[in-house]
Amino acid sequence: MFINNFKYSFLTLFRNKALIFWTFAFPIVLVTFFNLAFSDIEDSEKLSIIDIAIVDNEEFRANDVMKEAFNTLSDVNNSGQLFNTKYVSLDDAKILLDDKGIDGYLLIENNNPKIIVTTSGINQTIFKSVTDEIMETSKVIENLVIMKLEKNESTTINYEQIYHEALEKINNQVVNIVDESSTNLSYMMIEFYTLIAMTCLYGGVLGLVSINNSLANMSTKGMRVSIAPINKGKIILSSLFASYIIQLMGLLILFLYTTFIIKVDYGSNLLLIILLVLCSALAGLSLGVVIGTLIKANDNTKTGILISITMLASFLSGMMGVSMKYIIDKNMPIINKLNPASMITDGFYSLYYYDGLDRYFINIISLLVFALLMIIISYNGLRRQKYDSI
Amino acid sequence: MTVFKTFLKVLNKCKAPIIMYTVFLIGFGGFNMQTTDTSTSFTASKPDILIINNDVDYGITKGLIDYIEENSNIVDIENNEDAIADALFYRDINYLIEIPSNYRNDFLNGKNPAIYVKGTGDYEAAYAEMLINRYMRVANIYNDVISNENELVNKLSDTLSHKIEVEVTSKLDTNTLSKSTFYYNFASYSLLAGAIYVICLVLSSFQQEKIRKRIIISSMNYKKHNRILLLSNGLFAIGLWLLYVILSIILLGDIMFTLTGLIYIVNSLLFTFTALTIAFFISNLVNNKDAINGVVNVVALGSSFLCGAFVPAEWLPKSVLSAARVLPSYWYINTNDIVKTLEVINLDTLKPVIINMLVLILFSTIFIILSNIVSKRKRKIA
Repeated sequence: MFINNFKYSFLTLFRNKALIFWTFAFPIVLVTFFNLAFSDIEDSEKLSIIDIAIVDNEEFRANDVMKEAFNTLSDVNNSGQLFNTKYVSLDDAKILLDDKGIDGYLLIENNNPKIIVTTSGINQTIFKSVTDEIMETSKVIENLVIMKLEKNESTTINYEQIYHEALEKINNQVVNIVDESSTNLSYMMIEFYTLIAMTCLYGGVLGLVSINNSLANMSTKGMRVSIAPINKGKIILSSLFASYIIQLMGLLILFLYTTFIIKVDYGSNLLLIILLVLCSALAGLSLGVVIGTLIKANDNTKTGILISITMLASFLSGMMGVSMKYIIDKNMPIINKLNPASMITDGFYSLYYYDGLDRYFINIISLLVFALLMIIISYNGLRRQKYDSI
Repeated sequence: MTVFKTFLKVLNKCKAPIIMYTVFLIGFGGFNMQTTDTSTSFTASKPDILIINNDVDYGITKGLIDYIEENSNIVDIENNEDAIADALFYRDINYLIEIPSNYRNDFLNGKNPAIYVKGTGDYEAAYAEMLINRYMRVANIYNDVISNENELVNKLSDTLSHKIEVEVTSKLDTNTLSKSTFYYNFASYSLLAGAIYVICLVLSSFQQEKIRKRIIISSMNYKKHNRILLLSNGLFAIGLWLLYVILSIILLGDIMFTLTGLIYIVNSLLFTFTALTIAFFISNLVNNKDAINGVVNVVALGSSFLCGAFVPAEWLPKSVLSAARVLPSYWYINTNDIVKTLEVINLDTLKPVIINMLVLILFSTIFIILSNIVSKRKRKIA
């Protein structure tokens, strides 16, 4: 009986085109859109070479420190290249700035260097900061020379030599900074994790339809099943099992697609990923079953409620803006502790970013507790179902 | 009147998604509208930095911290490893600076001690590193020649206080303008999704076979019937557009009453018309109510993601943007993006805007023609 009902539940669900579209195709479509839209965001945040111009007038040519420094910083062969510098006339610089060919230009006039930009921004800030630094270098050299002169009591002073010594000293300074940054810092991954979470929760619609197909007040199929002299537990369990298998099939396709085509990074521990997916799918299914059991309404309303819950949960876990999850985690952690989409997202996040597994297992346990709770509630609901003859 | 009443009846049934799209618009539009500094003078970008100081709080250590604080936003994060790791991942901070104990002593003894940092790898982090470099580089040099620590710190801050003058040429209020552009770009999703969803659902209700047969044998002239239907749909689309314009006036304020605001409004009206024709076209293709739901999401979300309604177009890959040219949303959003940067509004600078608008009209015409071709083929029922 179990196998028989499993087989037919499977076929019924699988032939429901709308259902398969939403659980199989829609996540793939959405993930493709995500990938197209988000793939360049993080790259655009990396420090790239800044286009600037310098007004090539007499005063600039006379300023050795500036000339030398910008030359080094604009050198294509220098690994620390920061600028792509054009040396132009004032009029050309203005035109370049207006046409957005450059972020800003440097003008030295009456011994007073000035930077001209159209708006404030990070590139402009860096341009300004570097120019400040170059001016500081002149100041430092000046100070060093003065100090040297104060100490030096002999009458023969070699300015040239002192100047070069000071410049050398500055250029050879290495500040000891130890960079311990993590390499897995791609926050856009969260978008893809929330999408997996959404798919898992949305898979609950399969459980919901299965329940509807077994309830006499929901469908004609349910009526027929209800009057059949067989164990109701077996019926429900086998159709839910069929839903679970279909849900996992959809997730498998989504995973293959995201891993091999979109190149989403789920971390390297395959077994833990599979465990997380199994628990997540179960949590989603149990959510659908609860809605199917507890709410007395037609199919569309139930699906609508499930979608709304899924969307809200995904929103809170960061699908429409990654920072949302962080804001909630930081200020109202209880909400995301109760939100299955956040548990799933956070599970993937901990595999991707964290070294230890504590956080991962907390999420796994939360998901299992959530699923268990939902199953107990629906069990109580289903057990008491009685239908009057009308 | 009967037709219009029926239209309203069906419309009433699908108010939930319309409310949802509107809430999205207000939610995301509003979310992005926190006020920031609107001055047109130069404001340096400041990276968000967390400093963990395990050393003393005076002397050179304090000097470094003061310098960093002056040039960045110091973020206060709970001092536990997970909270800091999360803050870095979600870019709540761009840079973490950890000053080890005994830093000051080691520095004064000329050992050039290490500073431990963690960054996010973006330009803010790069800038933060530049700040440390700047301070410590000069500090190291002075350390060799100045033996008194107080004198050293004072000399340092004196050297580093020299700032170049920066002149900002643009007098645009970029802040309000980018808010308006974001709102109207996002509105393209709400308008498109709302129009397609409602119009397809209404028309499919009228096209169910039994109902269609009944309509055909009724005494009402089919031309009149179609005209009323068309008018009601147009009225609905205008209503939706008006709603979003009024919302924009509430959310954005005075800017909507300027010439720039007018361009946003006219542009969105044109786009509403295009959305209407797209909706007609789709409703001619698809009659199944389940399928409509899928089509709405794929078309509206697709257009919005690929053309820059959610993620600004400047951040999209070039290949995506060039492919997006086949979608009307691209031209609508492009106009909004151009308006954002217009310094002077005259016939010359408006040229690209006018071209974009003409493209939208062209799209509408194409969709009307396509709808006619499809509906002609579908007219016969057995």
